[in-house]
Amino acid sequence: MLDFQLIAEHLPLYGRGVLVTFQLLIIALALGLALAIPLGLMRVSKAPWLNAPAWLYTYVIRGTPMLVQLFLIYYGLAQFEAVRSSFMWPYLSSATFCACLAFAINTSAYSAEILAGSLKATPPGEIEAAKAMGMSRAKLYRRILLPSALRRALPQYSNEVIMMLHTTSLASIVTLVDITGAARTLSSRYYMPFEAFITAGLFYLVLTFALVQLFKGAERRWLSHLAPRKA
Amino acid sequence: MYTLEIDNLHKRYGSHEVLKGVSLKAKAGDVTSIIGSSGSGKSTFLRCINLLEQPHSGRILLNNEELKLKPHKLTGDLRASDPKQLQRMRARLAMVFQHFNLWSHMSALDNVMEAPVHVLGISKQEAREKAEHYLHKVGVAHRKDAYPAHMSGGEQQRVAIARALAMEPEVMLFDEPTSALDPELVGEVLKVMQDLAQEGRTMVVVTHEMGFAREVSNQLVFLHQGRVEESGCPREVLANPQSERLQQFLAGSLK
Repeated sequence: MLDFQLIAEHLPLYGRGVLVTFQLLIIALALGLALAIPLGLMRVSKAPWLNAPAWLYTYVIRGTPMLVQLFLIYYGLAQFEAVRSSFMWPYLSSATFCACLAFAINTSAYSAEILAGSLKATPPGEIEAAKAMGMSRAKLYRRILLPSALRRALPQYSNEVIMMLHTTSLASIVTLVDITGAARTLSSRYYMPFEAFITAGLFYLVLTFALVQLFKGAERRWLSHLAPRKA
Repeated sequence: MYTLEIDNLHKRYGSHEVLKGVSLKAKAGDVTSIIGSSGSGKSTFLRCINLLEQPHSGRILLNNEELKLKPHKLTGDLRASDPKQLQRMRARLAMVFQHFNLWSHMSALDNVMEAPVHVLGISKQEAREKAEHYLHKVGVAHRKDAYPAHMSGGEQQRVAIARALAMEPEVMLFDEPTSALDPELVGEVLKVMQDLAQEGRTMVVVTHEMGFAREVSNQLVFLHQGRVEESGCPREVLANPQSERLQQFLAGSLK
C-alpha cells in the first residue's frame, strides 16, 4: 500500500518544489520568447546574413539533447579558467542561473521555428493588401505579419510551453530542488521511489492541466477570428 | 491633364512577354474597364500600376507625378528608386482584390481603420468615424465587429471596398472584384461600384462583367496577348467590335 502519511508530511517540500519549477519555467519562457521573436524574423528573411546565423542556431539547439546543453553550461564551462575568473562566474556557478539559461536557449530555438512557420503561412494576399495600402516594411511586420502570426502560433506554442514545463524536471539533476528534486530527495531519504515520483507526477499533471486551460482561454481571446462562427 | 497615365508598359516572366507595351490614360472621374480572356495580361497590367508586380519598362504617372523607377541589378525589372514615394503613391491608389485580402485577425472596422491610422497618420477617432461612414455607405455597417472569416464573400468584398475608400484615394483599382463571388452576391458588389462611379470617382476595373463594362464605365480597353487590341467608348466597342479577337471574345462571353 502507498504510504500516504509520508507523502502528506512532505507536501511542504513539494510546495517549495512547485515554486522552483514555476520560477524556472517563467524565466525560461520569458527570455526564450524575447529571443524567439527576432530569431523567427531572421529565419524568414531572404537575406542570407540574417537567415543563416538563425538557421544554424536553431539547427544546433534543436539537434542536441536538452540535458547535454545543460551539462555543457553548468559543468562544461566551469572547466575553463577564463570563465572562472570572468565577471560572469558568480552567475555561471549558480545552478539556477545555468538551468534558466539552458532552458531559455532551448525554448527560444523551438519557439523561433514555430513563429517562422507561422509567419511563412501568412496568406500572401494579406501582405499584398498591406503593401497596396502604402505600408512600409516595418509597419507591415509590426501591424500585420507579427500580430497575425503570433496568434496562429498559439496552439503550437502551448505545446512548447507544456514540453518546457516537463523539461524543467532536468534541473533536479544539477542540484535544484524543483518538483522532481523534491521527489528525488524523498526517494533517497526513505527509499520510497513510487510514493515520491507518483506525487511528483500528480503535481505535473495538475500544472499541465492549468496551462492547457490558460491557453484555451488565450485562444478564445486571440484566435476567435479563425474559429467557426457561433450560431 | 490626366489623373492616371500609364505609358508603354512592358512586362515579361522569363522569356514570356505578358505585356507588350500597354498604355492607359484616365481623367478624373473616368471609369475604365479592362476586359480580355485569362492570360491576356489584364490583371498583371493592373498590378503593375501600384508595383505589386514589376514592369520591365514604361512610365507610371499619378496626377503628373511620375513614379521614379530604376532597373534591378540582377533581374532587370523596374523597382521604385524611392520607397517613400512608392508608399505615398500606393496610398493614393487604393486597390480592391479578387480574393478580398482582408486582414483576417482584424474586425471589419479595424480593417477599414488600419491604413488611415497607420499609413496616413490620422487620429483614431477620426479614422473610426470615417470607417463607420464608409462601412455604412457600402451597406455593411451592421457587420463592423465581425471578423472576415465570419462574413459572406459579398460582405467581405464590400468591407474591402470601404477599406479602399477610407484612404480617400485619387484612383481606385479593382482586380476582378466579383470573380470570386457566388452569382447571387455579385449584384450587391456591382451596385456599390456603380454608386462610386456615379459619384465621379476615378476607377480602373479589370472585370468579366460585360454589363458593368457597358453600363457603368466610360472607357473600355480590350487586352489580347499583352496588347491593347481595341479600346474606346464601351457601348460602341461592345455593340460594334472591329477586331476579330474581340468578336470571338464577346461571342464566347455572351453565351
